[in-house]
Amino acid sequence: MNVVAGHFSDVLSALLTTVELAVLSFLGAMIVGTVVAIMRISPVAPLRAAGLVYVEFFRNIPLLSLLFLVVFGLPDLNVTFSLFNSAVIGMALFSGAFVCESVRTGINTVPIGQAEAARAIGLTFTLSLRTVILPQAFRSMIQPLVNVWIGTLIGTSLAAAVGVFELTAEGQLLQLNYAGGLPVFAAIALLYIAMALLSGGAGGWLERKVAIRR
Amino acid sequence: MTTNRVLFDEPGPRGLLRIRVATVASVLLLALLVYLALQRFGDNGQLAAAKWNPFLKPGIPTFLLHGLENTLKVTGLSAVFAFPIGAVLALLRLSESRVSRWTATTYIEFFRSTPLLLLIYVFFLALPPLGLNLPTLWMVVVPIVLCNAAVLAEIFRAGVRALPKGQGEAGLAVGLGHWQTMRFVILPQAIRIIIPSLVTQLVSLLKDSTLGFAASYPELMKSATNLTARYHNFIQTYLVIALIFVVINLLLSYLARVLDRRLSRGRRDKGDTPTELVVLPMETALGGGLVR
Amino acid sequence: MSTFCRSRVVGCIVAAAAAIALSGCGSSSTTTAAGTTSSSGGPSSPPAAAVSATGSVAAGSGAGSSPSAVQMTGSGNGQIDQATYDGVIAGSPKADAATISANAWATAIKGRGTLRTGGTDSGPLFSLLDPATGKLTGFDAGLSQMLAQYILGSPTTKLTITTVDTRETLIQNGTVDAVFATYSITPARAEKVAFAGPYFTSGAAIMVKKDNTDITSVADLAGKKVATESNSTAVTALKAKVPSASLQLYAEDAQCQAAVQQGRADAYVLDQSILISDAISNPAVKVVGEPFTVDPYGIGVTKSDPSAKKFVDAWLQTIYGDGSWAKLWKATIGTVVDGDAPAPPKIGSVSGS
Repeated sequence: MNVVAGHFSDVLSALLTTVELAVLSFLGAMIVGTVVAIMRISPVAPLRAAGLVYVEFFRNIPLLSLLFLVVFGLPDLNVTFSLFNSAVIGMALFSGAFVCESVRTGINTVPIGQAEAARAIGLTFTLSLRTVILPQAFRSMIQPLVNVWIGTLIGTSLAAAVGVFELTAEGQLLQLNYAGGLPVFAAIALLYIAMALLSGGAGGWLERKVAIRR
Repeated sequence: MTTNRVLFDEPGPRGLLRIRVATVASVLLLALLVYLALQRFGDNGQLAAAKWNPFLKPGIPTFLLHGLENTLKVTGLSAVFAFPIGAVLALLRLSESRVSRWTATTYIEFFRSTPLLLLIYVFFLALPPLGLNLPTLWMVVVPIVLCNAAVLAEIFRAGVRALPKGQGEAGLAVGLGHWQTMRFVILPQAIRIIIPSLVTQLVSLLKDSTLGFAASYPELMKSATNLTARYHNFIQTYLVIALIFVVINLLLSYLARVLDRRLSRGRRDKGDTPTELVVLPMETALGGGLVR
Repeated sequence: MSTFCRSRVVGCIVAAAAAIALSGCGSSSTTTAAGTTSSSGGPSSPPAAAVSATGSVAAGSGAGSSPSAVQMTGSGNGQIDQATYDGVIAGSPKADAATISANAWATAIKGRGTLRTGGTDSGPLFSLLDPATGKLTGFDAGLSQMLAQYILGSPTTKLTITTVDTRETLIQNGTVDAVFATYSITPARAEKVAFAGPYFTSGAAIMVKKDNTDITSVADLAGKKVATESNSTAVTALKAKVPSASLQLYAEDAQCQAAVQQGRADAYVLDQSILISDAISNPAVKVVGEPFTVDPYGIGVTKSDPSAKKFVDAWLQTIYGDGSWAKLWKATIGTVVDGDAPAPPKIGSVSGS
């Protein structure tokens, strides 16, 4: 524990890197996931197929394999991003598939009668989606999205394997240079757990806030 | 898909025309993207035979196969240990004794929120100086088991909670004790519900096995490192490895879907029910989808 | 589409994409790669693809930077010829029974029947696994095989992959008998393990992209992005000599090389022999500058049994004397560096050894 206390500023900056990585990846994932979800429910068949390919590919590829592809493979095609950005892109693409599935499931949980009623009063596709379906879908999407967020947060630790200097890498460094041992890793694990529990709590609060109380 | 039919009416002539135009446009766009990607490959010399040839060399497919074999070994061993431990944890969490519940919950919350890579580093870096030096295979399997047992416990619990409450109450009403109800009434039904999720969890275990790379265990990811060190063909190697993983996982997911359909015949309406539970510290969110 | 058909479609699409990607390679030949920056002289082509190292590499004129500085101009193609290499190993000495039984450490190894070594299998020139044949070749690998042959009569080694994080621990807890891993001797490390040797003196050099003209020596690295392997001695040296350089740490040599080639880092600093070997097979990069550190490599053995270091030191002396060390040098490092093998470093000449 003394090792961690002695290098607290390093640990803190590594923690910030982790949070930065997670936030940016999650935002990217939300954008990508929503777009792909829309593709998947659109009436245009090729878009639906492309969306399906995307989801199947990125749900079944190990995150480490994807990160290696983006960090070490893409530059072979002259597409080089900084290590941090590459990690963000990889994680955003990966989590995007899960966000897409969460969005689709969320939309599916809205009772069909709602959509039918929206059509019945003459709302167009965009209007009915925007004013009737999505607000209700959002309520049931919070849970899975919070889970994807926590998954992203914990997944950032894999960035350590490709050279990004975040919390897990910091733990490894402390262990190597100062023989930190078990207490260092325990402290780092506690940091992750704290973040996960906080996120879970925040998600629960958000869910209660938007719940329909009858 | 039901959503489609509901969100828009049956398209009229103008709607059909628009859809057809959009279809053609998107096909062209996708073809263009594929063409651009290939052109990128070509421009950077990545389509050169020399970069792809190593995969046809006599010893290489065997080498990759050996790596795959090790990956599957890790996955299999992890599954063999994680499933029973997860079941036990779930039962503990559902027990009547507060101590068991509390212990199980702490374990589950702890290991679900800890990154797997961190645990592997603990076994690989922190424990050997303290005397605990496991063979590399177990340095990978034990952390995977620890983490996934927690996730599996939540899946089992979700399965139990997905059952109508009446089942448990009926069991108690006819005089069965808590554990007897569990054993004869609840568990058989719960397990049938969650078997597809368990197969999906196998996919997750396979993906986790790639972290054996961090402990230098010679599974597929590490084999890729050996290949690139020798032949310097980065994108080719990583693409091939990624495809191998995707194909295997697709097969497993397909198996999960088949099992899903077979075991739930008659029990629920047709539709695209996702069989993957993204289970993390909160209650299972998509779990509701299983019994819709 | 039902889910059954959907997964079939997905499988077909994935297979089609793979087919397209792979069919592309059949239609283009290596000559179309002319004019691109990537290396096309793959190791799979016959030795005719020899690329001469750049002349911009300064020859170490032995001006005091290191006692056995090697000439950095090389005309070999960096490919170790397996037949020659095997011949060198087979021709190395074997100990007689008296020598072994006089030494406790060697007796234990003979009793076990195999020499457990620690090292890497993805280090070019020093210890590289050929995935096609499963054979480990290189200078470090060769030395370990020679030591095994000396003790056991045949080069039977069992490799455990070690990283900079785990080397000392694996020696201390007895998982490996000896570590051959371009293991630099430092007094700090000598407190935990015993070093036999040094068996090779090296120095850190700099690799940059072919067209880079700003960096020609270590002083030019100030403020630049420098890649190196995590926790190598290069890290400490760089921190001491150019503290303003921003370091990027990678796990493997191939990744560091890729970082330079792809523009993520301005330079890559590591042992010069490894850099030269990389540069030979990769025309997109070049090695510049003189070695700015002195890195003696030693064989890590257990400190708790002093007979280990004695035995390995004596063996090193033997192979220095009968020319096996020089022959191995020629078969491995000699493929990238011209000239005869330098004189081997004096055993025990470095603090910590």
